[in-house]
Amino acid sequence: MFAAVLSAVILGMEVHPVQVEADVSDGLPSFTMVGFPSAQVKEAQDRVRTAFKNNEIALPPKRITVNFAPADIKKEGAGFDVPVAAAVLAASGILEPEVLKGVMFAGELSLNGEIHAIPGILPIVIRAREEKCRLCIVPWGNMREACLVPDMKIIGVKNLKELIIFLKAPGKYRQPCIRQETEQPGQELDFSEIRGQESLRRAVEISVSGFHNLLMIGPPGAGKTMVARRIPGIMPPLTFDESLELTKIYSIAGLLSPTDPLVRQRPFRSPHHSSPAPALAGGGRNPRPGEITLAHRGVLFLDEMPEFSRRTLEILRQPLEDRVIRISRVYGTYTFPADFILCAAMNPCPCGYYPDMNRCRCTSGQVSRYLNKISQPLLDRLDLCAEAEPVSFSSLNGRQGEASDRIRKRVEKVHEIQRNRYQKENIQFNGELKGNMIEAYCRTDAQGKALLEAAFDRMDFSARAYHRILKVSRTIADMEGSELIKKEHIGEALSYRAFDKKYWS
Amino acid sequence: MERNHSDNIRCIEKGQPEYPEKLKAYDHMPEKLYIKGRLPDPERPCAAVVGARMCSPYGRIQAFQYAKTLAEAGVQIISGMATGIDSEGHRGALAGGMPTWAVLGSGPDVCYPATNRNLYERILREKGGIISEYPPGTQPRNYHFPARNRILSALSDLVLVVEAKEKSGSLITAQWALEQGKAVFALPGPVNEELSRGCHRLIYDGAGLAYKPEVLLEELGINCKNTVKSSEKKNLGLASDLNMVYSCLDLRPKSRDSIMQETGLSAEKTGSILVELSILGLIREISRHYYVKIQT
Repeated sequence: MFAAVLSAVILGMEVHPVQVEADVSDGLPSFTMVGFPSAQVKEAQDRVRTAFKNNEIALPPKRITVNFAPADIKKEGAGFDVPVAAAVLAASGILEPEVLKGVMFAGELSLNGEIHAIPGILPIVIRAREEKCRLCIVPWGNMREACLVPDMKIIGVKNLKELIIFLKAPGKYRQPCIRQETEQPGQELDFSEIRGQESLRRAVEISVSGFHNLLMIGPPGAGKTMVARRIPGIMPPLTFDESLELTKIYSIAGLLSPTDPLVRQRPFRSPHHSSPAPALAGGGRNPRPGEITLAHRGVLFLDEMPEFSRRTLEILRQPLEDRVIRISRVYGTYTFPADFILCAAMNPCPCGYYPDMNRCRCTSGQVSRYLNKISQPLLDRLDLCAEAEPVSFSSLNGRQGEASDRIRKRVEKVHEIQRNRYQKENIQFNGELKGNMIEAYCRTDAQGKALLEAAFDRMDFSARAYHRILKVSRTIADMEGSELIKKEHIGEALSYRAFDKKYWS
Repeated sequence: MERNHSDNIRCIEKGQPEYPEKLKAYDHMPEKLYIKGRLPDPERPCAAVVGARMCSPYGRIQAFQYAKTLAEAGVQIISGMATGIDSEGHRGALAGGMPTWAVLGSGPDVCYPATNRNLYERILREKGGIISEYPPGTQPRNYHFPARNRILSALSDLVLVVEAKEKSGSLITAQWALEQGKAVFALPGPVNEELSRGCHRLIYDGAGLAYKPEVLLEELGINCKNTVKSSEKKNLGLASDLNMVYSCLDLRPKSRDSIMQETGLSAEKTGSILVELSILGLIREISRHYYVKIQT
């Protein structure tokens, strides 16, 4: 007898539906799997058979064949155990094949019949809705996550027995109810804890207002990391669509909290400087999202940037321009979203105290070796560069800084201006302006133009640096509520211009 | 790509008439000199400008200014082409419109440090020269540098030490200069800076106090009355905000936040004023958000 159920495989960020077919026919007893299953998926037969045995389900001593269609996609992951079990049960006459129609299955079996949670449930359920499935059967542990998708009936099962009880009489099955819990967000980090650092605070606000990348330079202990951790707190809250998008990414990466799966806070990712390039970009034969994708719509913080290997840093160049990362493999090209604010921190020299010549012990060779770890093209992409000043005693004990709430209100206003302006474009923020859009939207007054010209000659810019300065000026003008970019806006943008290695030579 | 600088190198032996008169007077001078470009004009006075490699912006600016003023009065500047003060000395001399000479601790065709290739080529282009006692192709060794200092001081009539820590190669040059009977001058700096210690020690030991370039010219017997520009106080005619920021800066690096505190201006305003001042060429950003005044 033949039976088929629906399941899905995740390749990169995309979900492909997979038909799992089973057939039980006469012949020598055997269990074979075809249809390009990976080693993990092939192991399903042993788990399924043992789980049946331990739940007193007797398989007929016949020839069982399982097929995965389409056969040209490699099937990965442990989520195929439950669909294989369901298809085999139907094919051997234990279940009615009719009840499996229009149902999406996913889940991992253990030898005693328990059904374990798997990563990537949310995108699978979203795909099931697109495929017009009538029902999704998911592991109980993924229930909360699956229920985030509206207009989709979800059944969570804990073990094989429950699965069979449900499928034998779907009408009578009573689903234990599940409460969506909202985890109390941890103690929010607030900007008011940062004393002094006026120019750095200003740079951070510009950066968040226009989605510009930021480089912080300063001696050890000045508070660079402290400032960076507070950046997500001044960004506007995520919209529901953005939350869902992020939850999808975190679901595929298997990083969701089981109790409160919805990602509500902007991500702040701070990979260690020993991270290899694939950890940042995403990697593996079936690529998984890397740190830059996990930082989507949030902040990617690279502390001690020159300590990262050159290769790791260089992979950031393309995603910083395109806001996505494309990873190519033999079986295809995978695209991951990567729209983040890059925030990097570094010391001005290996010992960290330059230009304080009483404390700086570096030789000029050491300094140039240190700085040469970062390439100029990457530095050019960091639109803003600000200095974190060593904190003095008086400012440590001085008045508190401005609180995150107030900064966030201003940032939201600037985002609103940009949303209105770029309605017709496919961008959201000034930081994404490109080519002729810059000419169209960054109009400067005559004095501003003169200042730019003088600066261009005196500070010898590249064309890219010139455009970056216009974009930052656009954001500063928006913060002042001015449609025309004025001289003082350009002046301020110039003072935060991208970092230049020339200082030391 | 390593560029080859090995063409046009001459070797001059002690017996030859070209061999600098100034070196003949002392013992321990090399038997052979390797020259690329020219030798200093024996009719004109020579001064050495030496100092620390990792120098402060103050030292950098002063080395340039002193070398420039001396060059404008017709003095030939000699130095060691190291990064920091030495390079600024060469650049100042070139800015003053005089050729300049570098005495290297490597073969004359080996540009050390390699980052100074531009300067190396500029020295040759502007009719100066590269001098070394080491044959072409010799790589620099740490013991070459104290040795080349004796030639550096012997070629000059006066040695100016701009910035030096207490243990510094520049002090070796000064020591050689004293033994050879040359005038030694040192530039003062703040007493708490380590980079001034070597100079202050020299002054304490009797070196000349180089409080303005003219004292060096006087020492060299150059009448500086007509070379010195009238130093009337210039009114820069800056807008009041610009003037306020400009006047709170000095020769020591000051951070943007402390400028803001002193002037009471907002972060956004201070940024654009500082940029305007640096475009006017009145101040210089020596590290991100650290500024110094440039002397006019």
